[in-house]
Amino acid sequence: MNIVACFKLVPEEQDIIVNGDRTLNLEKATPKISLYDLNAVEAATELAAAMPDSKVSALSVGGKILENSKARKDILSRGPDALYAVIDPALESALPRETAAALAAAVGKIGSYDLIICGEGSGDLYAQQVGLLLGSLLSVPVINEVSKITAGDGKVTVERTLETEVEVLEVPLPAVVCVTADINTPKIPSMKAILAAGKKPITVWSVTDIGASTGGAPVVMQSILAPAQADRKKVIVEGDSDDKVAAFVESLRKVL
Amino acid sequence: MSKIWVFSDMASRYPELLAAAASLGGDVNALVIGTDSAKAFSYGATTVTQLPADESRMIEDYVPTIAKCVTASGTPAVVLISATKRGKAVAAKLGIALNAGVINDASSVKGGDGVTATHMVFGGLAVGTETVKSAVAVITMGSGAFEPLPEDAARKGDVVTADFVPPPVSIKCLERRAKQNSSSVDIGKARRIVSIGRGLKAQEDLAMVRDLASALDAEVGCSRPIAEGENWLERERYVGVTGVQVKADLYVALGISGQIQHMVGANGAKTIFAVNKDKNAPIFQYADFGLVGDIYKVVPAMTALLRK
Ligand SMILES: Cc1cc2nc3c(=O)[nH]c(=O)nc-3n(C[C@H](O)[C@H](O)[C@H](O)COP(=O)(O)OP(=O)(O)OC[C@H]3O[C@@H](n4cnc5c(N)ncnc54)[C@H](O)[C@@H]3O)c2cc1C
Repeated sequence: MNIVACFKLVPEEQDIIVNGDRTLNLEKATPKISLYDLNAVEAATELAAAMPDSKVSALSVGGKILENSKARKDILSRGPDALYAVIDPALESALPRETAAALAAAVGKIGSYDLIICGEGSGDLYAQQVGLLLGSLLSVPVINEVSKITAGDGKVTVERTLETEVEVLEVPLPAVVCVTADINTPKIPSMKAILAAGKKPITVWSVTDIGASTGGAPVVMQSILAPAQADRKKVIVEGDSDDKVAAFVESLRKVL
Repeated sequence: MSKIWVFSDMASRYPELLAAAASLGGDVNALVIGTDSAKAFSYGATTVTQLPADESRMIEDYVPTIAKCVTASGTPAVVLISATKRGKAVAAKLGIALNAGVINDASSVKGGDGVTATHMVFGGLAVGTETVKSAVAVITMGSGAFEPLPEDAARKGDVVTADFVPPPVSIKCLERRAKQNSSSVDIGKARRIVSIGRGLKAQEDLAMVRDLASALDAEVGCSRPIAEGENWLERERYVGVTGVQVKADLYVALGISGQIQHMVGANGAKTIFAVNKDKNAPIFQYADFGLVGDIYKVVPAMTALLRK
């Protein structure tokens, strides 16, 4: 089976600084693989391991962040056989529609595929759209919230976990699925896998190379601002002796 | 003036969707599967478009039908959908079918020159404000963003029926079953919440948390790891950016560290109490009243005092 696992590199949240004017400073934040995309990559690798003659290609589109060699090695150490990166200033802060269009063009350039796997949403924008848009743009079956994948002949059978129901679906290939965060537990790469990652092929394209158009974005981001902090009293008492607990409960009674 | 449409895979979400739609002004057309229009009218729909019901279909199969309705009645148009899992699938598919910009999990929505909506980004660290430039905007609304309008059973309107347009590619649903360990509790509406985090050592110890909750007449909530990693409580009970955003008067956080992803769900509470044994836990930056102590000692003592 020919599998493409899509991922995004995002800034490490712990390193993000909130400026005085509530804008975010991302300059000091190191790139990392978006948390839930690790599940997509793991799902692809597990599926490939269960099917003879399978190949997993990792694919990402974005700006300069994709030049980061540590992150590239990180993704390849998690099982994919090859990495395809579309790096272009036009994709620097692309929103879902532009991202999906670039991914669709890149998939076309990679060639044939059976299954494309995406995560539930990225750690930065968490738009939860890209995989669904990608499948629709490619005019193939696409479904989200997939919590289990079983490969079949020319199809996959998936479980889809919704708010109160689970659906078991038969999805003809080629297709796109978006997996949930609890479909698997991503493995920590072994030393051997990390060493092998350095030898795997990396292909870099620009938007022109893949023949994607980037104009006419249907949505524009106006601002990203940290919310004003709610004013809290911050009356903190140290110690859990009886009188301190009693005083704590007294404060509690006052708001009941 | 934009044409406003609303659609949900869950009947219970129509009242707030209709309120969001009303805030945008103009006529509101509710797309409903089946023939029950009364409820949509009573909560503010001016027109109801009935989509033919058929148990064998998936909700996503209605996308071409909805797209046809929206296209036929012209632009500009706004489609508001509940931000459920299926709702988001429908929204993205409509985004391509209608060449429309899509925004998910909106906490607010405003009309004007393009529809503008806000939603959380960077795990709740910030709020993104986005504007849709395309002629059709598709927005999924987070639960609780709008108060439903008062129900008025006397309201009536036009009923239209739409023919089903089959999707070009379809997925076969082999089986549909109820999810285990799910509940219908809505802690987004609870007035008081006692919430437990990984400070809890074992599932049995939930008893002491439930005791305190019952003494306070509160619902039990939790952090994501308690619901998703440990599976000790239902998913519907976890608070945070990917969970429930509460609006309670009182939020009591027990053994919760106070990571931003959790706090953006808790910050809507009027008063926050916190118990944590680590005096440097971030939760104390977000609390009105904090006690640095062991929940295993403090929680039973609190319950006993409150029962007195
Ligand atoms: C994209 C993304 C989305 C996320 N969404 C959410 C979300 O919606 N909701 C959410 O909750 N999390 C979410 N998380 C996870 C979040 O980052 C934290 O990991 C999580 O909230 C931590 O839960 P916790 O506070 O229960 O556990 P911990 O961080 O492990 O904290 C446990 C706390 O208990 C205290 N403690 C231990 N024993 C005791 C005792 N005996 N008495 C008193 N105190 C004690 C400790 O001092 C510690 O502060 C998300 C993460 C990501 C990356």
